[in-house]
Amino acid sequence: MPREIVPGIHWIYEAGPDRTESWDLADRNPEWYDPGREAYVPQCAYLVDGGEETLLFDTLSPASTDQILATIDDLVGDRGLDYLVVSHPDVPHAGNTLAILEEHPEATLVAPEYGNDHELYHLDEGLHVDEGDELELGDRTVKFHEATFLDSPVSVWMTEETTETLFPVDWMGFIHLDEEKLRFVDELDGEFDRSRLVEFHGRVLFWYQYIDVEKTNAEIDSLIRRFDPEIVAPAHGLVIREDATEYMAMMKEVTRTIDGQERIGTLG
Amino acid sequence: MTVQVTPTVEWLNQCYDHEGRHEHVSLYLVRAPEGTVLVDSGSFYHRDAITDAVDAATDGEGPDAIVLSHSDYPHAANVAPLGGDTDDVELVASSASPAQQGLPDARKCDIGGTLTIQGRKFSFVDPPLADRSHTTWIYEHGDGVLFTADGFGNYHDPGECDNLSGDFPDVTPAEDIYEYHRDNLVWLRYVAPEKVERTLDDIFDDVDVAAVAPIHGNPIEADGLDTYRDRLADAMERIAAEHVVA
Repeated sequence: MPREIVPGIHWIYEAGPDRTESWDLADRNPEWYDPGREAYVPQCAYLVDGGEETLLFDTLSPASTDQILATIDDLVGDRGLDYLVVSHPDVPHAGNTLAILEEHPEATLVAPEYGNDHELYHLDEGLHVDEGDELELGDRTVKFHEATFLDSPVSVWMTEETTETLFPVDWMGFIHLDEEKLRFVDELDGEFDRSRLVEFHGRVLFWYQYIDVEKTNAEIDSLIRRFDPEIVAPAHGLVIREDATEYMAMMKEVTRTIDGQERIGTLG
Repeated sequence: MTVQVTPTVEWLNQCYDHEGRHEHVSLYLVRAPEGTVLVDSGSFYHRDAITDAVDAATDGEGPDAIVLSHSDYPHAANVAPLGGDTDDVELVASSASPAQQGLPDARKCDIGGTLTIQGRKFSFVDPPLADRSHTTWIYEHGDGVLFTADGFGNYHDPGECDNLSGDFPDVTPAEDIYEYHRDNLVWLRYVAPEKVERTLDDIFDDVDVAAVAPIHGNPIEADGLDTYRDRLADAMERIAAEHVVA
């Protein structure tokens, strides 16, 4: 079941595999972890409904094809899906693109302008967007941005202007416990443990282990000034709807922490 | 075109045209003691040519195993057409969640570990230059070839498609190395290049490399490796220097 973050923005969640064993959580027992519990790094997609038009940002993974098709139907009904945005052609993010377009031939495929090998990803057709391009959906307007922290060169971030929501895709993901799924960060018990962000970024944005800390943190400050979001909706974490810029600022300490240690591990 | 790289490793190359400049989207065939092993499976874009080339190279038998560097479409798109979804072909992949990566069930290789596949020992190296978190570099212990994705690549001109590094006038051209990494490993903007260099030094101290076989470049022979690495280091410095935070 999706969860509505604010009117017109729906959070669609896929748990993925339990990471307890692959991340060695039982033995390492980090402070945020409860022994015996399951833990997940989710795959999230978001549906923006502007009243006049609808837009899906990312597709969930091929393990959840039926789920995403059913959820789209539940959310858009007879109105149909107007836009399908692929943040980047990584399989867990874009792997249901063809299935969705087959089910919704009325949808326009939207892909990043960035990168130079779109044909290798079935992304040569459709609308290509880069910095500043907007789609007005009625009560909601999305704007696209060059992805700052990324893996694939064919990447884009998105904001929703009226709710001041930032969709930073792979950035600001983190692991959570089973009972925390689809909770907003402000609904979690206790203080948020920054080490969850460290675990994720050290494994998934693996290149963080090589970063110029000062430069990266300057970029984070620039992102905070530039976007100043009320809500952060990551692809691999829980939605942050309070004190969003404080969590963005927390990422500076994350970069410092990763810099000071060995490679944490892989995603698995 | 199929090009011999080392006695038991062949390069099955295909090219993607960037308005006159080429980028390889390759796979490699290892003739292991007990069978043939493909490293990667190429793009759907080149599917017919790839399946024909593999067919020709294996006398119509097809591969015995496929080892994937990662699940990105240009690397994993022909797993099924090459039999990787059948019991006849052993599929090896680094992802612990193949369903999420759109892969059939695969034998999991641990990054940092080793496996014997078709009688050949393979090591799986944590790559400093990649574009997916579950990417592995792959080192085969027979001839000593290190297969890399997506780093150690380069663009090339038409006519250079089958070059090994020694076929260029002076190893792989510096500008081709720089432009490829600038366009494909965009995150290099944020790195301190000396940190990547230290990791590369550790890797090359650890394995005896007869050739580096990139998925997206011309293979680099041992006597060209130092020159390539110098140019790669310069490229990383340049990419980092060129990105200024607003």
